[in-house]
Amino acid sequence: MATLSLSSRPLTFLRPNRTKPPLHRLLRHKPLASSSASALTPPTPRADPSPTPDPDPTPLFLRSASHPVPAAALASFRRRAAALVPPSAPHLHRHLRWLLVDAAADPSSDPALLRAPLDDLEAMWTRHVRERRPFQYVVGNEHWRDLVVAVREGVLIPRPETEAVVDMIRKVEGFADGWWADLGTGSGAIAVAVARELGHEGRVFAVDVSEVAVEVATLNVQRYGVQGKVEIRHGSWFEPLEDVKGKLMGVISNPPYIPTDDLPGLQPEVGWHEPKLALDGGKEGLEHLLHLCEGLSSVLKPGGFFVFETNGNKQSEFLVDLISTKWNSSFHNVEAVLDFAEIKRFVTGYRR
Amino acid sequence: MGSRLLARSAAARLLSHLRRRTPDPTHRLLPHGASLASLLGPTGDIPAAADSALLRYPARWSSSSTAAFAEVPMTADGLTVESIAGKGWTILPEAESDWRSHAAAVAQSIKLIKKRLKWGWILERTKQLAVVLEKPDLWDDPVFAGRVSREHGELMGKIKSVNQFEQELIEHIDMLRLAREENDNELEMESMRALADMRRSAKEKELNALLSGDNDSCSCFIEVQAGAGGTESMDWAAMVMNMYRSWAQRWGYTITVVEEMPGEVAGIKRATIKVDGEYAFGYAKAEVGVHRLVRISPFDSGKRRHTSFAAVAVIPILGDASSRYQIKDSDLRIERFRSGGPGGQHANTTESAIRIVHIPTGISATCQNERSQHMNKASAMAVLQSRLDQLEIARQAQMNAEHTQSLNEISWGNQIRSYVLHPYRMVKDLRTNYEVSDPDSVLEGDLDDFILNYLSSSLDEAEVSV
Ligand SMILES: C[S@@+](CC[C@H](N)C(=O)[O-])C[C@H]1O[C@@H](n2cnc3c(N)ncnc32)[C@H](O)[C@@H]1O
Repeated sequence: MATLSLSSRPLTFLRPNRTKPPLHRLLRHKPLASSSASALTPPTPRADPSPTPDPDPTPLFLRSASHPVPAAALASFRRRAAALVPPSAPHLHRHLRWLLVDAAADPSSDPALLRAPLDDLEAMWTRHVRERRPFQYVVGNEHWRDLVVAVREGVLIPRPETEAVVDMIRKVEGFADGWWADLGTGSGAIAVAVARELGHEGRVFAVDVSEVAVEVATLNVQRYGVQGKVEIRHGSWFEPLEDVKGKLMGVISNPPYIPTDDLPGLQPEVGWHEPKLALDGGKEGLEHLLHLCEGLSSVLKPGGFFVFETNGNKQSEFLVDLISTKWNSSFHNVEAVLDFAEIKRFVTGYRR
Repeated sequence: MGSRLLARSAAARLLSHLRRRTPDPTHRLLPHGASLASLLGPTGDIPAAADSALLRYPARWSSSSTAAFAEVPMTADGLTVESIAGKGWTILPEAESDWRSHAAAVAQSIKLIKKRLKWGWILERTKQLAVVLEKPDLWDDPVFAGRVSREHGELMGKIKSVNQFEQELIEHIDMLRLAREENDNELEMESMRALADMRRSAKEKELNALLSGDNDSCSCFIEVQAGAGGTESMDWAAMVMNMYRSWAQRWGYTITVVEEMPGEVAGIKRATIKVDGEYAFGYAKAEVGVHRLVRISPFDSGKRRHTSFAAVAVIPILGDASSRYQIKDSDLRIERFRSGGPGGQHANTTESAIRIVHIPTGISATCQNERSQHMNKASAMAVLQSRLDQLEIARQAQMNAEHTQSLNEISWGNQIRSYVLHPYRMVKDLRTNYEVSDPDSVLEGDLDDFILNYLSSSLDEAEVSV
């Protein structure tokens, strides 16, 4: 750890990733029943793990329920889909239930009104089961805190650990009317959750370098009607925040923190499908975190608060140590905070 | 009582005058001798506003409650509801225009209603509450004062509504006889119709009185747990849970699955649903206990007969915040699903089960039905809150916790109902002996007759204790 260069800047990630608009490519799919390969045999990872985009970029649960399907056809889809999954995978049965909840306006009506043609649902389900495409991308949302956050390929699916960040900053004195920055906002989950609790003067500046993230965050901000409180800014870390330097009550960030070397070993749902830009923390996973630590004191106002999510014990301990020695004059009460699995997941502190 | 009849008949005014001049000073309504008059306050309609003002200002309340006198409603020739009920007049079908029959039916209903409301207890309790309300320092503890005045108000409401009903009966009888004396055919018919109407509403009131317990109007949780016997019982537990879901659906209640532990092969080990809607608890509490099934097992290749058990618990969800158990955050241990790995950005999971343990009591609640941990935590907290409320209810009232006992306390000996699918078909309630020969409809949620039979038998046969 000590050998890390503290001044390294995450050059490789400065360029916005040029994700093309999703291809409106129709997915060809085989009917589920005629499948020969075992549902649970994962395919070998593709050489290029870039995700196959959904034909329709609108999250399933937000599409209009305009596809009438006879109840019997829906029921037989349910049976076919369930047959693909062994009883030993209860989570997949749960997903099937939720898929139908999200896909149908009123699943008990006949005909049921679906938000996608039945064929598309079949294709989505097969991809979920076969290609380990995350369920959240399939339905286009993640239930996070009390929010239903829209997500799609190209943005990170918000994690349950991150829910705690909102509770932490809510306890900061002056929270409600402060200005906050959510750096690397992704889906905008943190920004929206924070904005919903802010008072009249409170603001969130939500920054991301990814265009998809900016689009999805904009959608979520609008869905929850907090556009008056959240300002989304496209750019890298502190760069779009020149005008609010020294005025922020707090900085929140869950930056990419997985060491580059660990990327190949990730769970398929993550490694094959989630954006590298949101995960890759460079060497030791610390590149972005260190960059954030360095810029922190210039954007926070005196007394301001920060919370970073990290890869766990090692990173958190290292950062606490670093900040309270190297930048002792700028920060106090720097500490590692445990997540629900008792892992040191967060680093928090105050600017002097 | 503002009845149409009174307004249009001068005779009526005369009648009520007469009645007012002839109260029966020796009349005693209460078995233990307390006079109704001292308890009831004004019998006339207190305007709603004045009513609540009285509750807010105990000092004024006390003066009016001691000053006012209640009269036992009585016809011009001295008939009271009680005496009518005691006459043994034949009760004919409603269609028969016989005022004695109507009056006897209504009077019987009123007797039953009073019994179900625990009339003696209500009067005694109202008296005690009135004394408490008079205390000058009562409002030093606003929470307690609020609770007392609310309860007092509720009981007064019940008393008033029964009294009005009695009064109405008496007035219709007087009116009818007067109409006969004066050969006023139209008035006679109208009074007869009014009496017949009263019979119908009396039946309704009888039913309502079955659900007059403290928390009867609340929503509730229903929990089902499989007994010993593995898959067989787990399958039965799932059938029982389905029965309640369909029952609740028929009533238009909203159902949410809070917790479900599936069995390895089939059915459930245990499950909790939330049933939202008026009187869900009042009805469902009748289902607490052990349900027994006898059938040829679908899981036994030898096609033998099996007996399985499932236990049911029902917990009210209290609406009144002030009577809820105060939970300290520091008393809670929150356990979450952990992927076991490095977590954070490494892991994708939709598993979000939450278990909350209340350390001092060891009571816990689990929720895994919601799609986020945050929401599961909120649901589990709601269940935990109700379980602790339930303890609190039992503690505070030191009441018989029969209806609200938790699954842990249910003794597997407490069998309440038997469902036999083989060698004959029958469902029989072991408490009321009520039985039907069509188990399928019962398992599809047709439970109301079992419930009403139980509620009425448990109230109607209960000792009137004060
Ligand atoms: C781990 S994700 C966190 C997303 C979201 N805040 C959450 O917690 O769910 C990291 C985010 O940082 C963004 N990011 C990566 N490099 C960035 C940079 N140089 N400037 C701004 N954002 C960046 C990614 O696009 C991604 O949305």
